[in-house]
Amino acid sequence: MKPYDNSAWFLVLPALVIVTFVGILPLVAVTNYSFQDLFSLNNPYWVGIDWYRNIVTSERFYASLGRSFLFSAIVLSIQLPLGIWIALLLQRSHRFIVSTVLVLITVPLVVPWNMIPVIWLNFINPNMGLAGRMLAWLGVGFDYKFNALHTWIVLVVMDTWHWLGLVVVLAYAGISSIPPAYYQAAAIDAASPWQVFRFIQLPKMKTVLSMALLLRFMDSFMIYIEAFRINAGGPDSATAFLSLDLGEEIQAFNYGPSAARSIVYFLIVLTIAWSFKAATSMRAPVTMAPAK
Amino acid sequence: MKSLGRIILFAAIGAFVLVPLAQTIMTSFVSTLPRSGIVEGHFSLINYQNISHSAVLKQAILNSIIYVVLNVVLCLGVGLPAAYAFARYSFVGDRQLFFLLLVFRITPTVVLSLPIFVLFAQIGLENTPVGIALVHCVFNIPIAIWILEGFIASVPREFDETAFLDGHSLPSFFFRHLVPAIAPGIGVTAFFCFIFSWVEVVLARILTTTGGKPITMAINALFGFRTDFGLVTAMTVLALVPGVAMIYFVRNHLAKGFVIRT
Repeated sequence: MKPYDNSAWFLVLPALVIVTFVGILPLVAVTNYSFQDLFSLNNPYWVGIDWYRNIVTSERFYASLGRSFLFSAIVLSIQLPLGIWIALLLQRSHRFIVSTVLVLITVPLVVPWNMIPVIWLNFINPNMGLAGRMLAWLGVGFDYKFNALHTWIVLVVMDTWHWLGLVVVLAYAGISSIPPAYYQAAAIDAASPWQVFRFIQLPKMKTVLSMALLLRFMDSFMIYIEAFRINAGGPDSATAFLSLDLGEEIQAFNYGPSAARSIVYFLIVLTIAWSFKAATSMRAPVTMAPAK
Repeated sequence: MKSLGRIILFAAIGAFVLVPLAQTIMTSFVSTLPRSGIVEGHFSLINYQNISHSAVLKQAILNSIIYVVLNVVLCLGVGLPAAYAFARYSFVGDRQLFFLLLVFRITPTVVLSLPIFVLFAQIGLENTPVGIALVHCVFNIPIAIWILEGFIASVPREFDETAFLDGHSLPSFFFRHLVPAIAPGIGVTAFFCFIFSWVEVVLARILTTTGGKPITMAINALFGFRTDFGLVTAMTVLALVPGVAMIYFVRNHLAKGFVIRT
């Protein structure tokens, strides 16, 4: 057990001060704005909950919410199993292969987010792009501008390209923390590969995988710059996700409505984080032992 | 047979990652606008030469480096003591504080962009790399604490106690004993703080509308009526270099950084 000592607060204080300054304080300020009509910041006019009412009664909000959920669901159902599978294969590979694959697969993580759509638009361009020309040559009528399904495919593939590395790194971290004794015990019991995965590897990976799940869910749920650059929410709002609506209002400097929208979205994040915490601590009440 | 299949799969993954990038890298070595003396579409270093002659682009590279280094130093500086506190003690509100950090880590930057823009404009922290460095702490401090805590927790408690018995004060123990003992952890933390700060564009954009632009915003500014696409891709390639170099340095420790509680 860790000793109980409240003077530990002095150690966390510097971190808390900064997080308060750049996280909590702005949220408090914006909560204030969300109840006002601000033609400019010096001319506030109290409107109460009008902006909130506008958001939660608009069909557009629920349509965007639905699209965001669908996008997250697709992205998670591809990236998590694929990432775990790659990590499992890596675990049985030579050290050199492991570090080569990990280096390669994490490269997209260091690409600035506004450049990711530029790289992909370049890649799928039907006149110059490698993939674009290939598809044209194969006779596929690929049109990400006007075909909603094709825009979705581009977004999902691009997001997988961007983030698969994070899932692989996390899953591999979980697998490599398993002591060899567990596998020896499994071998003695003549456990099948599926049983080894189901009863040894998966439980041991639970902590990091739940983190991967949360991070991937949140980032795909609120995908913004990448989706915006590919087709600006089109065609015909088919890829208008939650964040694009917010970004639009911020760009237009509608302080009141975008403040209210920021608060609504933050509450969604808070709810998700809270239910995630409730779900994980119910099954694992105590923290896992650190890796050696 | 089995290992052959695995190699083919790994090669496919490598191709999936590299081919889209390859096109961008190739374009960066090609002149994409008609210029005297260079054939359009042929190999050329003109884009990189143009960068080296552009004061704006060089300033942007410098701005990026300043804010990202500042951010990493800041996150390590406040993250290390906090991670030590979480790893070694329990205290009033520790769980709630950890939850708060988790919330701010996962809050998408677009949600915070308006509040931060309003606040920072009022106190004069816009259009400077310092502002970006501070703002990126909102998601990087939680990351730093999270990773460092795991590394500190894997050091036995006796290690601290011996040092304190030898008469070390807490700061001296931190610098002389703890930091060397978890050096790979510091590296992995620095790596993740670096990449998350380097790639972030939403907050960086809203805070640098008129000045202090980092590389990402300088690239945005290159798009126009007649975009020099070669120049755009050359800047993109340069923007990748520090990140790829860091991946290479931490490659053997990359996976260890996350074997941690949530």
